[in-house]
Amino acid sequence: MSKRDIGVAALTLIFGAAAAYESAKLQFGTVHNPGQGFFPWWTSVVIILLAMILLIRALKSRSSAAREKSGRIARVVALLVVLAAYSFLLDPLGYPLCTFFLVLFMLRATDPQRWTVALGMALITAVGSYIVFAVWLRVPLPRGPL
Amino acid sequence: MDSLNVWNSSMDILNNLASGFGVALTPINLLYCFLGSFIGTAIGVLPGLGPPATIALLLPVTYGIPATSAVILLAGIFYGAMYGGSTTSILLNIPGEAASVVTCLDGYQMARQGRAGAALAISAFGSFIAATFSIVGLMLLAPPLASLALKFGPPENFALLVLGLTMVGYLAGGSMTKGLLMACLGLLMGMIGLDPIEGTPRFTYGVYKLSDGFEFILVAMGLFGIGEVLVNVEQTIKAEVFQTEIRKLLPNREEWRTSAAPIARGSLLGFFIGVLPGGGAIISSFISYALEKKLSKHPERFGKGAIEGVAAPEAANNSAATGSFIPLLTLGIPGNASIAMIFAALLIHGVRPGPLLVTEKPDVFWGLVASMYVGNLMLLVLNLPLIGLWVKLLRVPYALLAPLILVFVLIGAYSVNNSAFDVGVTVAFGLFGYLIRKFDFEPAPLVLAMILGPQLEASLRRSLIYSRGDLGVFFERPIAATLMALALLMLLSPVLRWMLSRKAWEVTKPII
Repeated sequence: MSKRDIGVAALTLIFGAAAAYESAKLQFGTVHNPGQGFFPWWTSVVIILLAMILLIRALKSRSSAAREKSGRIARVVALLVVLAAYSFLLDPLGYPLCTFFLVLFMLRATDPQRWTVALGMALITAVGSYIVFAVWLRVPLPRGPL
Repeated sequence: MDSLNVWNSSMDILNNLASGFGVALTPINLLYCFLGSFIGTAIGVLPGLGPPATIALLLPVTYGIPATSAVILLAGIFYGAMYGGSTTSILLNIPGEAASVVTCLDGYQMARQGRAGAALAISAFGSFIAATFSIVGLMLLAPPLASLALKFGPPENFALLVLGLTMVGYLAGGSMTKGLLMACLGLLMGMIGLDPIEGTPRFTYGVYKLSDGFEFILVAMGLFGIGEVLVNVEQTIKAEVFQTEIRKLLPNREEWRTSAAPIARGSLLGFFIGVLPGGGAIISSFISYALEKKLSKHPERFGKGAIEGVAAPEAANNSAATGSFIPLLTLGIPGNASIAMIFAALLIHGVRPGPLLVTEKPDVFWGLVASMYVGNLMLLVLNLPLIGLWVKLLRVPYALLAPLILVFVLIGAYSVNNSAFDVGVTVAFGLFGYLIRKFDFEPAPLVLAMILGPQLEASLRRSLIYSRGDLGVFFERPIAATLMALALLMLLSPVLRWMLSRKAWEVTKPII
């Protein structure tokens, strides 16, 4: 638990430093007439301070709060990959096709259901939502090759 | 105030309210009100989909409808969710909304004792009474508060926003440091795009798509919609519906009597906490429960099916929800994520939330207030006689709901700009939202800071230009000074919060 916290705090610290660096590139202005970089700079500084507080806290607490069970991370990653693919394939393959496969994936890989349920849901969702949103509500969802 | 003034003001209010009803009771707005209440109850009942995500989803849908109707619909979703959340808490021991967590403690016990009907009923009635009370509060407090806010100049604005964001970081659950970090991150994200004063691009790195900054709706849908689904995919929600017939829907006289004072206290408490930015339904429900237990002559009954343990928090969360409209409608500051979405909706419709809203757009304000009365009535009906409907809905496994939720989000993301790229952006924010939650951060301060960031920066810079660099400007003007002092108080005393939450925790912990 502590290790994770330390990692997150360190990451935030690095991020704050990067943000400060980027903000410094902008015109800072003066206190009389603050420029573009004024607010970002100070915000980055606050982030750095807060990150340091987190880091110190994480380093101090050696107490191991029970490590929460890691659950099914693999499924989350898989789903994210599929979602990313979805957004890439949306224009070329069209909404109905992509949605069909997305729902099918979720109902077979993420949270497995019977094939009948999975196929049925996927079909109904893809077709149904297309009808409701693209046809009825006129949202210009890409049709794809269908 | 002499009596003539009071009479005039009351007449004004009644007149305004009457015209508000004129707007709210048109068939189309009645329909939107009903839709909002219905959807709100549904998502309140369903674990894993919350009001901020839903409202964000529906934002694109509201493009074509008038501002008043849009806000009636979205508001209905928000306060409707407070009604629905208690259903799962009582029947399944799973809170449908974070604001109904406390209701699980006694509500589920009551269900096990065969008194599910009474619990559900007192929850619905308590919510109704509390909501009505807080609508009256909203009606009475908003106009004078708005007039006060008109006197605000940039320094006061800045101080108020600082206080608001500080409170959000302070109250939003989890460590204050993390809350403030999220807020700062949100501020940075809000800075991408055009500089609020000079209008020149900043942090865009030549990427054209970023020249307007991150599209707020995409961020919200990703963080709240996709993010929550991902979290739920990782940890399965297994629900065992309490297999019981819900007979005897009404509490008996004894139960009514015991609940009366808790409902009253909950309403009052919830309202005042709800008005505070960052304070809201969740905190109110916790504090209300702790308060009731403290005041009770038989505190040992709590956690074993004490009806006060259901009545008070449910009342509190409803009146907090309505109360949280006040900062939005008077000061133009959203106090929680759902209200932030409604803020965005108003902006999209060309209604600028702020002190001028009440006077310049009375249709919107009074129409909304009137619709809240109507909406709460509808919700009472939806949540009592129609409770069977929701119980059936609960039998749908989350595995089937998750794809539907995602598809909804993806359609919504696409429809903002008819762009598949936006869908990708939303997914990216979904990943971010998932990571945030994994590491115990809260997304709400980020979203709020992102919305308020440009205003915050603009007021800061204007104040400094006006005062020629004198930082004292924030501390010499009385209103600004008070607000800054409060903000500093909050920042410098995490100890206070630790004590407060420990007290509430100490009270509730033995039960859990």
